[in-house]
Amino acid sequence: MRRLMSVLVGVLFLAMAIGPAWAGMDKLVIGFTMSQTGKFNSESKEQFQGLKLWAKQVNSEGGIFVRTVGRRFPVVFKYYDDESSKDRVQQLYTRLISQDKADFLISPYSSGLTASAAIIAEQYGKVMMATGAASDSIFNKGYTHVFQIYTPASRYLTDAMDILSKVDPKAKRIAIVYENSKFAKSVCTSAKKYAEKKGFKVVLFEAYDPGTTDFTSFINKIKATHPDAIIGGGHFADGETFTKQLYEQKVKVKLVSLLVAPAVPEFSELGKAALYVTGPSQWEPLAKFSKKTAKSKWFGPSSKEFTQAYKKAYGYVPGYHAAGGYAAGLVLQKAIEEAGSIKTNDVKKALEKMDITTFYGRIKFDTGKYYGRQVGHSMVYLQWQEKGGKLVKEVVWPLEAKSADLIYPFYKKY
Amino acid sequence: MGKGKTLFWLIPLLLVIVAIPGVSGSVTAREGVFLILMYVTLAVSLNIILGYTGYVSFGHIVFYGIGGYVAFYLMIFHGVHLIPAMIAGGIGAALAAFALGEAVLRLRGAFFAIATIGVNEAVKALVNNLNFIGGAEGLFFNFSIYKTYGGAARAIWFSYYTMATVTVVTIVAAYLIKKSKFGLGLMAIREDEDAAIILGVNAKRYKSLAYAASAFFPGMVGAVFFFKAGNIEPHDAFHLMKSIEMIFMVMLGGYGNVTGAVTGALVYERLKGFLLVNPLFKNLHMAISGVILLLIVLFMPQGIIGFIRDKSKKLRELLE
Repeated sequence: MRRLMSVLVGVLFLAMAIGPAWAGMDKLVIGFTMSQTGKFNSESKEQFQGLKLWAKQVNSEGGIFVRTVGRRFPVVFKYYDDESSKDRVQQLYTRLISQDKADFLISPYSSGLTASAAIIAEQYGKVMMATGAASDSIFNKGYTHVFQIYTPASRYLTDAMDILSKVDPKAKRIAIVYENSKFAKSVCTSAKKYAEKKGFKVVLFEAYDPGTTDFTSFINKIKATHPDAIIGGGHFADGETFTKQLYEQKVKVKLVSLLVAPAVPEFSELGKAALYVTGPSQWEPLAKFSKKTAKSKWFGPSSKEFTQAYKKAYGYVPGYHAAGGYAAGLVLQKAIEEAGSIKTNDVKKALEKMDITTFYGRIKFDTGKYYGRQVGHSMVYLQWQEKGGKLVKEVVWPLEAKSADLIYPFYKKY
Repeated sequence: MGKGKTLFWLIPLLLVIVAIPGVSGSVTAREGVFLILMYVTLAVSLNIILGYTGYVSFGHIVFYGIGGYVAFYLMIFHGVHLIPAMIAGGIGAALAAFALGEAVLRLRGAFFAIATIGVNEAVKALVNNLNFIGGAEGLFFNFSIYKTYGGAARAIWFSYYTMATVTVVTIVAAYLIKKSKFGLGLMAIREDEDAAIILGVNAKRYKSLAYAASAFFPGMVGAVFFFKAGNIEPHDAFHLMKSIEMIFMVMLGGYGNVTGAVTGALVYERLKGFLLVNPLFKNLHMAISGVILLLIVLFMPQGIIGFIRDKSKKLRELLE
């Protein structure tokens, strides 16, 4: 037994000795933690794959061009597993900065882990691209080095109101029915505020418990208040059930826009109930942002090029987590190129000034009270439509990214 | 019963470890030692109810979460300094444990273990729905809160030394409890609760007090940890996985033994920390630490320190 233990200990020490951190001056080190284990594993993996694809493409061209030095620097990743838990995030980010000499940082997946990493990034003055973190709560907290790639939760459903005012200015009555969970609640509270500001009347604002399977009482309330649009939802299962019951009860509304569920491919199993339901997503492969329709300067590959390259590398079509990972790298690359330097302050200034459009959408950062928060990017809205007898997802909003026109009103299908 | 000599080498050794990052100025070392201290404190305090009293508190992390929330609330909304907030967190956790203990400590064996998991999940669900403490969204510090402590860099050093102090206090307290009449009562309960009652041990009161004591320190740890992390969310504060890790550490080092809990925490943290960043093992760290733990539990059921104590009579006095 003792021999076995000493062998084990010996192996460990050997491994410790042969794995020193090597950091040269001829490359750009980008550090981050990802959730290789724990509950964020699958989302984090997607994000990482997107990021890896970006690095591969950049390095195939020789790296990122830094003007003041006059040559290209290849990108090298340093990353560790954060186990989806806050315990080690700060330890690992400290290590990334002080020992691995990371020049730039990418955030972990999820807002909570990002907030912990942000303290370290801020303390050492390192730029951190926050992707996979949609919370607004990180961005009025005095951080000056964290830049958000995702559309924040406060704007997830606000575009539903914009869609409504565009297609039907007379529709003013909104019912908000949402799951009582962290994310859905912050999204819907902001949506309510926005709706009221824009002159809509929120006729119903109700939360249901996670795991609700019977929405009869909510549907009765909806019917009683005669809304033009229903927005809300939460996760997949409840969103799916809610949609089904809306259809069974033939609820007559003009627009239905729900979180999460409509973006999931399995939503089509609902058949006719799914028809014309809309929902927001950070990005969709169908989103047709292009040089022509872009509202600001274009940068990077087209949506099609990204989707194809991703499919070639990993064998399936990317979702928005992967796109967010790729976009984080892309935006950082653009900032370094614009700054012409890898000094934090120069890159920060370039990020502040940045207003570009990529395959992922527009990118622009808040420089006021919510410093670093994403203000350019907006959600794309997809709608389930019928094509040749089959249900398909189409992007209907924003107009510059649409793949099909919005079919309105919702009750057309009855 | 002699006072033993364990503390005379254990505390100085700990102080030396604590001083290393400060002397060398290495922040990487500081982060590592911070986690060690945190794990040591959690393991040593769990040992009071688990090792001394023989009650497997599976959901012990609930007290870390409660302490974290109480302190975080005080700091963010009332501008309370970390130190009083931390003590309030500890007291909050201890009171919660005392009250809960009156109910769940009636259960024995597996029933108690399962009840404590239930308590953890119930508190998590409750916090998820309490909006004044952020509900499911959690609470986030404003970065400027660290200004009171001289900026974030100094605040992190400050939380490091605070954690070190908590650790030392915890070890001394756990040792004194073990050596007291109260501790003897707890161990009597562990060996045979009914016999202990017949011999005049007030088992009910003793267990509740032990439970409260073993909750007090994790409450303070939670306060310091979330202060440093800058935000607190229910799923992190009441993370069942960490509860299991705490039990692992105690079992690894040696059940019912202060040095054992310290050693278990130290070895576990170092092992995990090493596997996590090593290029050779970083994708397999969970599997490897699992296998090593399995080997230890299979071949050294009394833990590392228990194993050494068995082999050497001379060291027994030094390893309590």
